[in-house]
Amino acid sequence: MGVPFKQIVVYIDGSESSMTAIMYAIKLAKEHGSSLTAVYVINTKALSELVKAGIFVAVERDEYLRDLALDADRYLHHAERLAEQKELQIETVKLEGTVPVVVKELLKTKGADLLVLGGITDIRSRREELASETDRMMRTAPCPVLVVRDDDDIWFEFEA
Amino acid sequence: MNVLDVLDKDLVKVPLLSSDKRGIIVELVETLVKAKGYSPAQSDLILDAVLARESLGSTGIGGGIAIPHAKSDVIEKVTMVLGISRQSIDFDSPDGEMSRIFFLVLAPSKQASAHVELLASIARSCTSKIFRRLLEQARDSEEVVHLFME
Repeated sequence: MGVPFKQIVVYIDGSESSMTAIMYAIKLAKEHGSSLTAVYVINTKALSELVKAGIFVAVERDEYLRDLALDADRYLHHAERLAEQKELQIETVKLEGTVPVVVKELLKTKGADLLVLGGITDIRSRREELASETDRMMRTAPCPVLVVRDDDDIWFEFEA
Repeated sequence: MNVLDVLDKDLVKVPLLSSDKRGIIVELVETLVKAKGYSPAQSDLILDAVLARESLGSTGIGGGIAIPHAKSDVIEKVTMVLGISRQSIDFDSPDGEMSRIFFLVLAPSKQASAHVELLASIARSCTSKIFRRLLEQARDSEEVVHLFME
């Protein structure tokens, strides 16, 4: 068991809570001298589901695929800038597929010993299909998971 | 992002009163405009975006469900309006079935990920025939919210 953590992976999806998670992960990696990887997954599984369900027409799927790729670049670039602010090296990885599946693969490949997530929501329904991708990742990760609560203090502390 | 992240009692209308596809879309947009206080110009932009998407192909997906949706930068964050109609509405669904349950989904252009996840979550949550029937029979917005929270 490797403590403190040597290889941290943080998942970002563009949500405010994932931005809080990246800040927390940067501080954590800095303090522990860990390697940090930020990953964004273009959710092609969801896109396929939408086409299959008839919600998206083909032209729309292509348009959203481009939008998602731009989102990925934008948020990963943001993660790089935040890391630079704290003089920390960060690796950014853009993947495509089913979010929890490809993140799990990445964690194994990297030999990650910690996954940092934001955006875990309260359990509001017993309906399994209403679980978020983040919830699924927390359940399936092959390493310890740290859930960062969306907290203004983390933003203030990061900017300090 | 899933249905529960955006489900808001003030953005649920039961019953919808319109009797045709365009009327339903207008009514869903009006529900949003009323709840969020958008201006008439903003309302027009939202409606135009939804109708433009609808012109590409119907968002009636079968099983009595339709999910009109669009990107609009009038909207600050991903938003869903849910409406239930007592009448069966022809939404040009591929299975030929009339629709009674309508989800209007709107998102800013720079929130594609959340937009896609929400649409997929709606599709998944409505796969159960029993759940769809319960939604159709819901008496008011509170009951609709309760059904999702169960």
